[in-house]
Amino acid sequence: MSVLTTLRTLGTLAVRGVETALAAAARVRQARQHPPRRARLERFGAILQLTVPRALVFVDREFARRALAVDRPAIWAGPETGLGDAPLSAPLEAHLQLTNRCDAGCQGCYTGASPDGAPGEWGLAEWMRAIDQLADAGVFHVALGGGESTVLPWLGELADHARRRGIVPNLTTSGLSNLERLLAISDRFGQINVSLDGLGATYARVRGFDGFARADAAIRALRRVKREIGINVVVTRHNFEELDRLFGYAAERRLSEVELLRFKPAGRGARAYAELRCSDAQHRGFLPAVLAAARRHAVRVKVDCSYTPMLAHHRPDRALLAELAVYGCTGGDFLVGAKPGGQLTACSFAGPAPPAAPGGDRPRVTDLARYWAAPGAFGAFRSWRDAREPCASCDYHALCRGGCRVVSTHTAADATAPDPECPRVVDAAARRHLPVVG
Amino acid sequence: MRRGKILAIKWGMNPNSSSLGVDVTFLLVGATVLAAVTPVIGALLRWRRAVPVEPPVEPAAR
Repeated sequence: MSVLTTLRTLGTLAVRGVETALAAAARVRQARQHPPRRARLERFGAILQLTVPRALVFVDREFARRALAVDRPAIWAGPETGLGDAPLSAPLEAHLQLTNRCDAGCQGCYTGASPDGAPGEWGLAEWMRAIDQLADAGVFHVALGGGESTVLPWLGELADHARRRGIVPNLTTSGLSNLERLLAISDRFGQINVSLDGLGATYARVRGFDGFARADAAIRALRRVKREIGINVVVTRHNFEELDRLFGYAAERRLSEVELLRFKPAGRGARAYAELRCSDAQHRGFLPAVLAAARRHAVRVKVDCSYTPMLAHHRPDRALLAELAVYGCTGGDFLVGAKPGGQLTACSFAGPAPPAAPGGDRPRVTDLARYWAAPGAFGAFRSWRDAREPCASCDYHALCRGGCRVVSTHTAADATAPDPECPRVVDAAARRHLPVVG
Repeated sequence: MRRGKILAIKWGMNPNSSSLGVDVTFLLVGATVLAAVTPVIGALLRWRRAVPVEPPVEPAAR
């Protein structure tokens, strides 16, 4: 490495270090004003939240006993369990689809958003009640989105309410509209990610319209006022080869992270799924490509839960995955979703959760505390332990949990089926069709 | 005397309102670096002033 390159690298790291320190200081100030939830007891011990660095830390009972002012809480009455032995006492986070209104018309929109939105959309009062319920249940974070939630004039007010209740609000936005409103309230969010599925012409190819310039303008404007800005990238076969360039873009814009999302067959995405989903070769090459890009451009990378089968394909250290809390489908466990009318879901791509009792009403997110421990709650999302082969014998099953239920539902017409795009599942299917030689 | 154990660390926050994102950046550097970082996190948590957990959590029926 030349001297000039070394100096440039050191300079970049120094700038990032200063920015990170300033952002951390801002978070500490914010936490003093509105303290986020610090801990929640679990049967395995507790979950502790740190503001600097930002992390949820899962600890055993002995650690929890020392870190918290607890001795013999009721939840510890039974034997100490392991993390993952049973669903958590409540979700870590809730994904709230505040509205289904959006003018963009993206061809692969997982919610089928439109300018008219969904019937019976909740307003501020209902969502504030939902936040109250989530806070009482012990939820740490909410991820707010839509549609496009920046169309809502009360978005900042809802974020404030979440903060007052000890929940950190985070936000996904297209960046295509209401930028001035968003800039004015950006400090109320923990992390804001802008959806960016490609650069230039690739954006148009994936989304179906030319919105890159507007999204880029929003990213630059947000980054000027806030450090914790990242991009969400829905990975399709049309932008897979551009991943390295997207990481380069993130580095150039000094973004805090790139989050990669597997394209899902939901909403308008169900119609476009066959055309847009990644190929088997791309799924197998996903982890090396992503890690190479992250290393090359020194950008933090996150992947969504549905990519865990593709991670497992490369047989990473299982203990390391467990220590990083890298799980597959944790719908109805680590996370829940809510539709614009408050309908509770296991995750944002899934349909409304089944009723707690036959013939009963489907639950809303305000029913969470009552519904959470009901037998059969969240249906197939909680029955992953009953998985059939090739999941049942997979070394990574306890982490992966059978892959994406939404993809299984769409492709295999069976929510309990192994994720049909998991390389292990693909290989098993191919072996079944091989001719018998004998 | 047993000090207790950190079972897992979920880094960062998830702004993505559709999926649960997990930080895989540590896969770049491996278990060794995580093993060095974890005790620091433990020390931060132990150093914090212990406060009662609010609200008290009742065991959910399974």
